[in-house]
Amino acid sequence: MWGLPQGIPQTQKGILQKQIVDPMTNTSLFVVGLFACLAWAGLLSANEPLLGDTERGRRVFDQSGGCSCHTNYSKEGRNAPVLAGGRALSTPFGIYYSTNITPDLETGIGRMSDAEFITAMQEGIAPDGQNYFPIFPYTSFTGMSDQDLVDLRAYLSTLPPVKRVNKPADVMPPFSWRWGVSLWKWLNFKAGRWQPDPSRSEIWNRGDYLVNSPSHCGECHTPRDWTGGLDRSMWLAGSSDGPEGELAPNITSDSKTGIGSWHLRDLIWFLETGFKPDGDDTQGLMSEMIEHGYAKLPQADLEAIATYLKSVPPIDHRVQAHSSE
Amino acid sequence: MHPTIRTERVQTPSKRLQARLGMLVLTLLLALPSTGLAQDAEGTLKYRQDLMSAIGSDMAAISDILKFQLPLQANIETHASNIASNAGLMNSAFKAPISDGPTDAKPEIWQDWAHFEKDIAKMKAAAEKLSQTVAQGGDGAAIGAGLKTLGRTCGGCHKEFRKPKKESYKNK
Repeated sequence: MWGLPQGIPQTQKGILQKQIVDPMTNTSLFVVGLFACLAWAGLLSANEPLLGDTERGRRVFDQSGGCSCHTNYSKEGRNAPVLAGGRALSTPFGIYYSTNITPDLETGIGRMSDAEFITAMQEGIAPDGQNYFPIFPYTSFTGMSDQDLVDLRAYLSTLPPVKRVNKPADVMPPFSWRWGVSLWKWLNFKAGRWQPDPSRSEIWNRGDYLVNSPSHCGECHTPRDWTGGLDRSMWLAGSSDGPEGELAPNITSDSKTGIGSWHLRDLIWFLETGFKPDGDDTQGLMSEMIEHGYAKLPQADLEAIATYLKSVPPIDHRVQAHSSE
Repeated sequence: MHPTIRTERVQTPSKRLQARLGMLVLTLLLALPSTGLAQDAEGTLKYRQDLMSAIGSDMAAISDILKFQLPLQANIETHASNIASNAGLMNSAFKAPISDGPTDAKPEIWQDWAHFEKDIAKMKAAAEKLSQTVAQGGDGAAIGAGLKTLGRTCGGCHKEFRKPKKESYKNK
């Protein structure tokens, strides 16, 4: 989006040079006029706020796994109020509770502007300027495009508002101090949009974007260091401290400890149904992210995710429960 | 157990031997059934897991037909009916309340046996329905819906009655 206004003056320059060589004709006048209009349109659209599309937003919602952390399926079951928060997410630092992201004006995010929503997702900063705790995976969402985010926002705004006050975290200091998150961010967070790798295929790039930005796979499937930062040398190699204290398996292409033996179609089928190649089902948060999100994705997205995951370099890492348990 | 009787009994060596042999026999008699029980438990766990694997294998086979779009859709009828038959064996397989050792069965199974039985009945009904859907020439959407219902019965029961991964004996 930012590339367009920069590109236009160059194009105009090219045409002006051509003008010097060629005598003025009707055609060249038309071309100059056309480019001038395009340049104007480009400059205008760069400054105009983006418009969210609810249908595209539903797809972004599905890509994120249905924002399942924000629905308390684990305690309130299938009929839990959707996106009203209150779900306990246990971590080695204590228990955090997910927040109400319904459009409710008092207890939800109904009053947030689109720009504030984008800042929350990409920077981890709340409308009041405070940091969000990194249990909210903005480390991945920072890669999401502005357009995907306003689309997501548009879709979230169509869902029923629910009145439910957010629950404070049950965490020991210093992990309960919001200002401490600045230090955490300095150590572990780099804001920035996802960038394509031109040497790779389109489908791989699409998968890279989905896996590492909206679908935020690495947040649970990557081990964390003692500060709670993601150990990027072990990207997707599994974690003993997954969501809700569960084990998150190694999803690199290692054939012994990862999913290297899975066929591309096994991966797609798993994301559609929750069934592994051996016929066993999946449990916990993953089963909910599939049911309320990934399973509804179009084949193109599922194939992109599977193609990318198949390409993740193998890391030999067996995820085991802590011996103290 | 009267003291005078005891002094009489241990007076002769042959009687002492008899008493010791009696103790040995008694010990052996007590020990034998418990060894038998341990072996039973091991065998029961193995049998349960083989039964669950059989159900898993049929589930995997159905999945293979659908995910690779194999021209074997008619076979799903048999795979689903196998699942229904195996579901019928689960009550007897899980009757013995064993949740210790190499097993992921939660003790809740026997604390709420009626619920467990109901879950099994649900799986059996869903598997039979899927088998019938295929037999009656149901289309892809109908088969998909049937499989989804069946899949939910696996997940529902596992959520209640199977230990989560971090507690699984396989990850210790």
